[in-house]
Amino acid sequence: MINMNDPITKPLGRRGVLALLGGVVAAGLLSTQPARALGTSHSALAFDGDALVVAGSQVWRFDPSGVASLLPEPRTPIRALACHPDRRGRLFAALEGGGLDRFDDGGRTWAAASDGLPLAQVTALAIAAGAPDTVYAALAGDGLWRSEDAGTSWSFVMDRPWLAEAEREVLTLASVNLASGMGGIWIYAGTDQGVTRVPDCFCRWQDVVAGDAMDALVAGTPPAPEAPLPKGEPVSALVAAHSAPERLYAALPSGIWVSADGGVVWENKSSLHAQALAVDQVDPNHIAADTNTELKHSRDGGTTWATLAAL
Amino acid sequence: MTRLGHYAAGLVVALGSAAWVIADDATTVPEGLTFLGAPVTAEQVALGQEVYAANCAVCHGAKLEGEPDWKRRKDTGRMPAPPHDANGHTWHHADRQLFTITRLGVSAIVPGYESDMPGFEGTLSDDEIKAVLAFIKSTWPERERGFQAEVTANDEGGS
Repeated sequence: MINMNDPITKPLGRRGVLALLGGVVAAGLLSTQPARALGTSHSALAFDGDALVVAGSQVWRFDPSGVASLLPEPRTPIRALACHPDRRGRLFAALEGGGLDRFDDGGRTWAAASDGLPLAQVTALAIAAGAPDTVYAALAGDGLWRSEDAGTSWSFVMDRPWLAEAEREVLTLASVNLASGMGGIWIYAGTDQGVTRVPDCFCRWQDVVAGDAMDALVAGTPPAPEAPLPKGEPVSALVAAHSAPERLYAALPSGIWVSADGGVVWENKSSLHAQALAVDQVDPNHIAADTNTELKHSRDGGTTWATLAAL
Repeated sequence: MTRLGHYAAGLVVALGSAAWVIADDATTVPEGLTFLGAPVTAEQVALGQEVYAANCAVCHGAKLEGEPDWKRRKDTGRMPAPPHDANGHTWHHADRQLFTITRLGVSAIVPGYESDMPGFEGTLSDDEIKAVLAFIKSTWPERERGFQAEVTANDEGGS
């Protein structure tokens, strides 16, 4: 049995660990077949309730009891995942090459959820923090799309962010339940030029500053961020804690960065170089990271890490 | 386009849009409508229609419909003028923010943001700016008016 508190210490390689997991899953669970590798250099993570879902060309579910279960294979490898605490067991997955699937029953039932969405690579996914049936998808070379009916239909809402004199791909998205001052909340995006955000009324992408847009309005010029993320580094993952929305985690080449104030002040917590992050929907200090060689998790907000599995 | 060009074009378009504006002269003010805390009057809305036609319609559309394909960035990197009707996002902004954007430009609330929209300070009086925004608000359906009233109420210093 794989337990989140008992790291696997023997490196098994991306193929090996999941073979182990497949065997460990064993008795009475979803699959006893030897697991293959995630199969892509880019895996996706999401917490579904208190379970951690890890997806690439296969989908694994780490239950809090310590059991890792192999779920039905997706039709193509998965690039990004999103799940909402009010819809446990329902996952949205961006597929390699384009398209988006919805997985119900915790990943056991799969269905296309991209009617009306152009067939372009979905680079990032997020579910609205306060509206579990509202899903945002960032499309490569295109922009931000929104579904308000859990993936049944989609509409274009916003072009890509404009940073450093060019449109930037959205590498990661997070719906952050902090008031925008415009009757809604913020959507944050990680790009190769750092983090930007847009109110969910989609008026304009803008820098993260202290307070909301109203504060900026009153002040005329907002205060400069006291400790922004380092410039020039791509933000490969950005997640917000559902239970503490001011808490953000970002994965950069320089490591894992944490903000306790919605992205104004950032602190480098670890040199861990992660490709994907997920934060526990209940415990904001519990985060998981895919480093491309290991699946790790931290229970103290990113300061210390334990290996769940070698990949 | 220069600011002068905007205004010149605005006047030209105003000739066309005036037909709509004038035709819609049965100025009605939704019950309870306010701007910056003051009740909106029929005279204010009528003035706002005229000001809108002359200064705003050239970009935001004679019927407040915005520029075509307004969610897609222009080649310049700037966003097209959005609608001011219920399809846009104007009704997500508090009165104070709308007034400031119109008076000083978008960069007043988003420093460094580049927009084709000029600030109208020095071109329009504060009363004219209030009138045009009152006119825009008067065109919104009840749901959007209610939402914007709530946003305004939540804005410290708003109405």
